[in-house]
Amino acid sequence: MQYPGPIAAIEVIGLERRFKGAVKAVAGIDLEVAAGEVYGFLGPNGAGKTTTVRMLVTLLRPTGGQALVAGFDVATQPADVRRRIGVALQEAALDPLMTGSELIELQATLHGIAPRTVRARGAELIERVGLSQAAGRRVGTYSGGMRRRLDLAMALIHEPEVLFLDEPTTGLDPTSRLTLWEEVRRLRDEGTTVFLTTQYLEEADQLADRLGIIAAGRIVATGTPAALKAEVGRPHLDLVLAPGTDLRRAHEVVTRFGDHRPVADGCHLSIEIARGAGDIAPILRALDDADVAVAELELRQPTLDDVFLAKTGEHLEGSGNPHSEAAAELV
Amino acid sequence: MSGDLRTIRALMGRGLNEILRVPGGAIPGVLAPTIFMLGLSAAFGKAAALPNFTADDFRTFIVPVGMLQGAGFTGAATGVNLARDIEQGWFDRLMLAPARRSVLLAGVVASACLRCLLPATFLLVVAFSLGVDWPGVGALALGALLIMGLAAAAACYATVLALRFRTQQAAPLMQVGTFVAILFTTAYVPRELLSDWLRAIADLNPVTHVLEGVRQGFIGDVTWAQTWPALVALAGLVGLFGALAVRGMRRQGR
Repeated sequence: MQYPGPIAAIEVIGLERRFKGAVKAVAGIDLEVAAGEVYGFLGPNGAGKTTTVRMLVTLLRPTGGQALVAGFDVATQPADVRRRIGVALQEAALDPLMTGSELIELQATLHGIAPRTVRARGAELIERVGLSQAAGRRVGTYSGGMRRRLDLAMALIHEPEVLFLDEPTTGLDPTSRLTLWEEVRRLRDEGTTVFLTTQYLEEADQLADRLGIIAAGRIVATGTPAALKAEVGRPHLDLVLAPGTDLRRAHEVVTRFGDHRPVADGCHLSIEIARGAGDIAPILRALDDADVAVAELELRQPTLDDVFLAKTGEHLEGSGNPHSEAAAELV
Repeated sequence: MSGDLRTIRALMGRGLNEILRVPGGAIPGVLAPTIFMLGLSAAFGKAAALPNFTADDFRTFIVPVGMLQGAGFTGAATGVNLARDIEQGWFDRLMLAPARRSVLLAGVVASACLRCLLPATFLLVVAFSLGVDWPGVGALALGALLIMGLAAAAACYATVLALRFRTQQAAPLMQVGTFVAILFTTAYVPRELLSDWLRAIADLNPVTHVLEGVRQGFIGDVTWAQTWPALVALAGLVGLFGALAVRGMRRQGR
């Protein structure tokens, strides 16, 4: 798959948002999302994800740069943009007094869908997100996952070209999260462009065709998840040594096998290795020869958190890897 | 029906939905003007005996004030509800609709126009059962039209504040505006009995014209001479606050 494609669904050049007090929430970002791709926008809380989305969906006016969504300028042609986008924001803002069906119909009316098609389309979407049984119930009685699914159905009612999902699974239980992931995949298969913000590495890894990583209002990396991970390095071998083992000695042994300095912490050792699984046997033999006993080992491929760490010097919130936090005093 | 009208009707329906599904929430607003009418009549009822008082019965004089107050409170409540929608994120959904901002505002305001008939109806039922003179169907229809217009103006005013402050904590500002606007009119005594400074303010206050328009039928006959100033005053109020509210909606996100 080649990105970006010939027709960009989203084109952003130097987009900037400065709030009062000169706080730059988004500090001049460039990005391009091809039609039909799922673009993951990954970053920690406060990185500028939601501000960027709010500008792209016309809820917030940029203070600099330009953004085209579905070919229309978000600042000068907001109504044209709104006709072509579906949006499910971070908080599924739903009127708790209305039923699921009523909300779907209201959303359809707000988007100018002809009354004769509203009911059929609404029923189809409600079924698609698995809410047929609950459609006649007030939304106030829905669980968090049901609200998110209804929000998604509402965002799809006018068959948008570009769908914005702002942290769609935050706070959801694993089952609801998987259901939403399946729906995103289905939308991609149907050709909908999806702009997905998330702070979950796994979500970005699983869903995104391409990723933009944002930190402190700037995009620090962009590419396919595989390419980004390949960019930051080779696999790591994590070793847990048996109690009482001489860690310094183990460190000296494994240093012979990796280009990079191994990281040691307590009874853990982690080293970047060149050949992946092919290096494991020689390392274990060498450790055995040196009377270093290994209790556990794991070959770990680079993760998006490694990418984030490499690009920003920090871990993404909630994705800290205790093994890779150096115990500088030892090494 | 055009798309704009369908949008207005849908938003109006959402506004009315709240009353239908949480009727208890509407009770204070419905009862307040009637309690006000009963309390004022009990306290100041004998004022009707003063020379130059234009009504024989104070209750008949004060009922139109209650109708206006109901409209004012309903308008303020529309602003409070909008501020709640802003706080809870529903307003973002509204702003993501491709419809014109004026159409969205019209939908929000239209619900206020209809809801203001509820306190007025309750007030009139109580008032007529207590012996207030029947003003005639034409006068009542005109009164209903005028209070709907005032509710629209009050809703637009409250919307301006809701968009500016974006919090329900601005509710007192929304309520005090309509309260003061009605206070400085000929609400409690006829123009001739007002002190000079108050009469000067009442003459300048467009709500005075609306009130005198609603009073027709209750006191005197319905005349065009009393009706057109009320309509012009309302057009001005709705035009001014409506324009400010639309401007506020267009400026969201700046």
